[in-house]
Amino acid sequence: MAAADSPSAALRRDLCSRGIRLAGKMRADVVDLLDAYVEQQGLDASASVAAVEGVPLAAVERWDEQTGTQRLLENLAAYRAFRALLAQMLEEQREQLGEAEAGLGRALAALLLQVSAFAYHLEELLRLENRGIPGEEEEEEDGPPPPPRLSLFEQKLRGLGVLRELAQWAVRSVRDLRQLAKPSPATAAAPGLAESP
Amino acid sequence: DSHIQYERVGADVTMKCGSMDWDAAVTWTANGTDIDESHLNGSYLILKNVDLSQSGQYSCYEGSSWHLKYQTQLRVGTPPKEPVLMCRSNNYPKGFYCSWHLPTPTYIPNYFNISVIHGTKDMVCEKDAIPKNRCHIKYLQLFSTVKYKVTLTVTNALGKNFTTLTFDEFAIVKPDPPESVVAKPVPNNPRRLEVSWQNPSSWPDPESFPLKFFLRYRPLILDQWQHVELSDGTSHTITDAYAGKEYIIQVAAKDNDIGTWSDWSVAVHATPWTEEPKHLTTEAQITETTSASTSSFMAPPTTKICDKGAVVGSGAMAVCWTAGLVVAAYSILFI
Repeated sequence: MAAADSPSAALRRDLCSRGIRLAGKMRADVVDLLDAYVEQQGLDASASVAAVEGVPLAAVERWDEQTGTQRLLENLAAYRAFRALLAQMLEEQREQLGEAEAGLGRALAALLLQVSAFAYHLEELLRLENRGIPGEEEEEEDGPPPPPRLSLFEQKLRGLGVLRELAQWAVRSVRDLRQLAKPSPATAAAPGLAESP
Repeated sequence: DSHIQYERVGADVTMKCGSMDWDAAVTWTANGTDIDESHLNGSYLILKNVDLSQSGQYSCYEGSSWHLKYQTQLRVGTPPKEPVLMCRSNNYPKGFYCSWHLPTPTYIPNYFNISVIHGTKDMVCEKDAIPKNRCHIKYLQLFSTVKYKVTLTVTNALGKNFTTLTFDEFAIVKPDPPESVVAKPVPNNPRRLEVSWQNPSSWPDPESFPLKFFLRYRPLILDQWQHVELSDGTSHTITDAYAGKEYIIQVAAKDNDIGTWSDWSVAVHATPWTEEPKHLTTEAQITETTSASTSSFMAPPTTKICDKGAVVGSGAMAVCWTAGLVVAAYSILFI
């Protein structure tokens, strides 16, 4: 148990705890935003949205076998993508909507902040793991090469897909950080479920 | 040749005696008992509006030789109604199970077939040996937004039916109730009860997938429950119990982040610690006591002996009227 008492282990546990709280709050806010989004965009809450290009899927196979580093890297890539997607949604909202939907815009902006903060938090954890932080793609002022302009309805559906997937990621991130917070051997291999008490 | 014949309740059934001609002389029996000729049309046996009690073995014998010409098992039943299907994950994130039953019996054998689709992928639901009407699936993916679609088809000789359930991964997560719930009084604390429990043994990884708990308690004499939600730990001290009252206590569990609450645990009973009852005295009693020379009522040293005439009850339960009134007033104060 000596490793568990080391300053870096304590810091890691602390970062994981804070990250878990951040992700938990983020999830609660996404769920609330989803309800408002569906209502204000006139969508059917039960509508199936096909996987949208560019939206990172939370679904993962053999989740329990992932290493701590894998978890962090996948989370970081996802939240960076969500940061760009939410920024795009926010811009679209501002173009489309009038004052009536200003609340939705504010909620999106607040969520974008949380996503950015969480991405930064993940970078901190990666630094602690002594892993290099992958660079982000070079961005032009307007973001990555813009996809073909979607119709208003397609934008709404994509927005639904983004928020749904973000809600899943928020739950996954909480689980990932809990795995990370467990005392583990120096090889940073995450314990599988079979090893749990 | 022996056959099995399935017929619906209320149907009219005609049985032929194998290859015998219509006008052949035959005898029909049902479970070994001769059937009256009034049920025959030539050599055909006619059963109108059959009911469940008419299930059994029917045999046809040639009249003169008494050779068995035909035999059949008649099974009267009904086609299946829409089955009831339920899916649940009580061992998240390992997998989930589905179980089913028919709302009403059919009285004949039924066959169940279950299919599980996740997106475009067919999944195999492994049937459990016990109970028979259950199968389980291991999750191949976690955190998927793609819904699962489970279709259960039930077929018997008289018809078929089916039902479909569609759900997402998180919605069906429902742990089993907490186990080993124990409630104990706290010494020298008349308003406290200490409650402890354990995670359900079916929940595979409480460290990575912690549960939160809901505790409810009430005194037996009241209908209103008190509730406490606990985000961690497997124990809680109730601090507002009514002194001396027996309590009923239950606990439920839920994954910290997803799904629904478990059913309530088995109920436990406990009564808070109470002080040894002291016998209350008044000046009048002290006066009576000091003037009495003998008493057959044995009392502890702190107890003042009542005048025999003022005693209600007998033996160890004897109390003075006045003492009884004071005790009654004291008890009402604590309800």
